[in-house]
Amino acid sequence: MAKSNDLARIITGCKGGDANCFSQIVDMYASRCYGYFYRLTGNNDISDELLSELFVKLVEKIGSYKGGSFESWLFKVASNIFHDHLRSKQRRKKLIEVQITEFESGTIEPKQSDGELTDKLQIQLGRMDEDTRELIMLRFYSQLSFKEIAQKRSEPIGTTLAKTHRALKKLRQLMEG
Amino acid sequence: MENRNRENLRELFEKFFDAEQAESCVEDIQKAEQILREHPAPEPDDMLIANIKAEIAMRLQAARAHRFRRIIYGAVGTAAAILLVASVYLQLFQKDAPQNGDYHASLISTAMWEGDDVTVDDEDLAVFTAQIEQIENEVRTLQSGEDTGNGDSTLTELEMELIEINSDFWKG
Repeated sequence: MAKSNDLARIITGCKGGDANCFSQIVDMYASRCYGYFYRLTGNNDISDELLSELFVKLVEKIGSYKGGSFESWLFKVASNIFHDHLRSKQRRKKLIEVQITEFESGTIEPKQSDGELTDKLQIQLGRMDEDTRELIMLRFYSQLSFKEIAQKRSEPIGTTLAKTHRALKKLRQLMEG
Repeated sequence: MENRNRENLRELFEKFFDAEQAESCVEDIQKAEQILREHPAPEPDDMLIANIKAEIAMRLQAARAHRFRRIIYGAVGTAAAILLVASVYLQLFQKDAPQNGDYHASLISTAMWEGDDVTVDDEDLAVFTAQIEQIENEVRTLQSGEDTGNGDSTLTELEMELIEINSDFWKG
């Protein structure tokens, strides 16, 4: 209760334009949001950009937060930012194709910023489709309940449960295989 | 990462699957989430966090300045609109109102100006008028020689009386 009261106080401060309250929000959620972006993109630089964009967006949009689960709201904004990134990625498809060609020819080395196990997870996640990967990351990093995830995805809770179970089971098989 | 969701997964899955299947689903989910916990994503760089906080502070400052400018512009606009409306109203009312010098308040009532019989308007005036008429008659009588007494002194007295009454009248 004390924690939710603290969060409510911080959010009120943010709505009043208090920079310290925004700093507290950054400290509280930066790690989880970064993990969410990193697992979806597999790229540190893009994750840096998306995280910056998320908190800048937070400053602009905090007035539109009207109560309820703040995490649900925050990850909804994060998810929208990720989808915007995907759309812009489509527009830069030609450029990326050139980069992929260079990567495959060995001129660009993949970043080895994480341990071997982390890389394995990232590789296995990369084998899944965009929607499944996002569902897993949303469940894991946002800590939202299945009901909240279903609401966010505008689908029945049974569908969300079944999809998540299938996705996590597949990930487990890939990791153990 | 601790699972902070307070939902009961088994109960939730049992709404859609039988008990055995629900148990299996929960186990799959928990094991997969354990794998995710064992493979944490990298943490954001401290420099990145510092940059984000600086960016937020800068944007808040800019937003504050923008809000202040909007308030000032709004106030100036409102004041200008009030002045404009006030000047338009003043111009309209001044056209309707009589011009300076055209209007004079009369000190004497219209009835008095227009009435032929002044005695009706003022009793004092009537008394003076009667006295003057009486003296005029006496003067005329004396001039015509009808008076039998000391003619010169009586005439002088009457003239003096007439002058006195006249001066009293004009003194008010």
